[in-house]
Amino acid sequence: MKYHDYLTRRYLSRRWAPWAATVAVALGVFSLLTVLAVMEGFKVEMRERIRGTLSHLVIEADPFRGLVGEDQLLRTIKSIDGVKAAAPNVTTLALYKVGVMDHCVLRGIEPAAECQVSDLARFILSDDEINEMLKDRFMLLPADRDSMPVEQVEQLFSLERRRDVLRWRLQEDPGSGFSVDSPPKPIIVGIEALRSGRLSMGDVVQVSSYSPITLEPCSDNFLVVGAFQSGVYEQDLRWAYTHIRSLQDTLELWDDEAEDMRLSGISIKLDDYSQADRIKGEIRREVDRRMFLDQDHPDKIPLRSPSFETWEDKRANLIKAVEIEKRIISVLMLLIVAFAAGMIFLILMLLVIEKERDLGVLRALGATRSGVVSLVLRQGMFLCTVGAAVGLLAGWIFLENINGFHDLVYQWTGLRLFPPNVYYLERIPMVLRWQDILLVSLPTLVFGFFGSILPAIRAGRHDPIKALHHE
Amino acid sequence: MSDLSTSLPVISARKLVKSFPMANGSELKVLQELDLQIEESEMVAIVGMSGVGKSTLLHCLGLLDTPTTGEITYRDGDRTWRSTDLSEDDRCQLRNHFIGFVFQFFHLLPDLNVLENVMLPTVISQETGEWNRNRSKLESRGESLLERVGLKGRERQSPGTLSGGERQRVAIARALMMSPKLLLCDEPTGNLDSRTSESIHQLLRELHQDLSTSILVVTHDPDLASRADRRLQMIDGRFQNDSADNPETS
Ligand SMILES: Nc1ncnc2c1ncn2[C@@H]1O[C@H](COP(=O)(O)OP(=O)(O)O)[C@@H](O)[C@H]1O
Ligand SMILES: [Mg+2]
Repeated sequence: MKYHDYLTRRYLSRRWAPWAATVAVALGVFSLLTVLAVMEGFKVEMRERIRGTLSHLVIEADPFRGLVGEDQLLRTIKSIDGVKAAAPNVTTLALYKVGVMDHCVLRGIEPAAECQVSDLARFILSDDEINEMLKDRFMLLPADRDSMPVEQVEQLFSLERRRDVLRWRLQEDPGSGFSVDSPPKPIIVGIEALRSGRLSMGDVVQVSSYSPITLEPCSDNFLVVGAFQSGVYEQDLRWAYTHIRSLQDTLELWDDEAEDMRLSGISIKLDDYSQADRIKGEIRREVDRRMFLDQDHPDKIPLRSPSFETWEDKRANLIKAVEIEKRIISVLMLLIVAFAAGMIFLILMLLVIEKERDLGVLRALGATRSGVVSLVLRQGMFLCTVGAAVGLLAGWIFLENINGFHDLVYQWTGLRLFPPNVYYLERIPMVLRWQDILLVSLPTLVFGFFGSILPAIRAGRHDPIKALHHE
Repeated sequence: MSDLSTSLPVISARKLVKSFPMANGSELKVLQELDLQIEESEMVAIVGMSGVGKSTLLHCLGLLDTPTTGEITYRDGDRTWRSTDLSEDDRCQLRNHFIGFVFQFFHLLPDLNVLENVMLPTVISQETGEWNRNRSKLESRGESLLERVGLKGRERQSPGTLSGGERQRVAIARALMMSPKLLLCDEPTGNLDSRTSESIHQLLRELHQDLSTSILVVTHDPDLASRADRRLQMIDGRFQNDSADNPETS
């Protein structure tokens, strides 16, 4: 029947209060959509960055027993189908001291091999880049920067490089007691350690840790020869790379029983990450099998009990944390939408009470009870749908230009709502998924329906005679 | 009035009883086995003390309320409807097409302008597309009705800007919009001063002469009552056969 749209138009074009509910719905939908898209973008971005410093699969030693038999292990792993590369590493927690004292995660790697299993070459910085980065606190490596050639990465750890850096440093700052002939071991630190002023290029830092074998403290001097930017703030502040042999030496990792140097773990790169779980199982089975071979078998791997994990297993909690955060915030944001639906309810209720007489007149002129119910219901759903549509549209426009808006706010107020040094993302990430759009619009419409149906039922219950009785 | 006796009644009520339950559990009998017939093109006036049940009767006849017992028959040419076997949709249909209501308190919709108020019954009865197609025809009918009740040129005004008498004229035009067989007027001038009332009465009589609509009007005005075809006095929930010029024998 005609009068629904007709009267809805008349009623709504003469009042502003119902539109307040629409604005509330639009705001709720807008915030919900924005938050979901940014959280999703954040999640994707975080995953990408965390993945960069990790390899597909990680075999990690029990910290007290280590892993031994590097050659046999690497040979075994590389023999498995689907494995592209594998690289050994030694990882330890350490304290370092220059002017200040701080702790770091020190990782000994074989540079060429490491470049094959992780994105190290992609985020290791050249000297020029380091200088630029130190000038601009918020600068990030462009995502499309070429990886550094492997030889150049190896070069950073070489004796020659250490001598150059030390020579350069002695020119600037003569009088430190290190000789260019036998420079300290190389260390490559995260860019944030340089930016925060804890360290600078050419510094000789004393790094201390405990040897897991002797359980005695051990320490050594390291020369800062380079820097990297992984894009994960915490890692760029706390992680440092050195050569695996240097670190094995410092930590006195000689295992008497196996007559070999201990490892902390092995990083593995796969041809196809989607096969990770299957290949993980195969590697574990093969490694276990060889560990239980006879003592004098050529394939024998000394018996230890490492763990086998994909990078997602290792960082499951961090990724899950972002996911849970997203869920919690969506629920909170849904409350805004529910609040907006509550407004629709109140406003319609008031309208129905105010219009009791009009509804009675409609009944007297031949409108059915269900017609009156649907008149009110349609008004509510109309307000809600318009609100949802406006909110979705505004959200979409906002998200498409979110960084432009952010820059505007920064220009006007000098306020960085999304400081790069906290989230370490220069641009606010966002991914608009259709699932999230559904997740926003469906509950909004459902809430709107429930907000409208009660006033509508109430309108249907009106007795037209009573409604018409008095002016 | 021999022509009247040959025609069939537009509406006839038989043994209407309407009682309301009261707070103390007993029943308030408002209509007591009331009989009423209104012929085609007849104008009937009902007079009676306040609270005697006149409005209740009109609500029952107008299908806004259902009598406790008794039956009302509506007739339009060959077609008849009996109140006892009407569905809810039929009742709405009859309210829309068969009956026009004029209330004491006008009851115009303040959000619509005068013409839109007059056209409201057509908006209720027709589908969107149909209404849009007929719109210009309906508008000119609404305008001519407004002209007929003396409100030419006031079509776009809001009802709030009209005087009481003018509002009642709009309400009468609205009641006539669907060309109903029966116009029910419940104290149409009960809320107006005597001079305005007189002009409304005049209008009702003129309309009655022009149109073939039957009119049932509740009034306290002796002049209007005496000029009707019939005058019925309501006492204790039924009609008193009290007047010589009244051919009714119940
Ligand atoms: N819904 C109702 N419930 C109870 N009593 C009612 C109701 N409607 C009307 N009455 C009573 O019925 C009687 C007749 O009322 P009404 O038809 O309005 O009288 P009139 O219109 O003749 O002045 C009054 O006593 C009134 O109090
Ligand atoms: Mg009355």
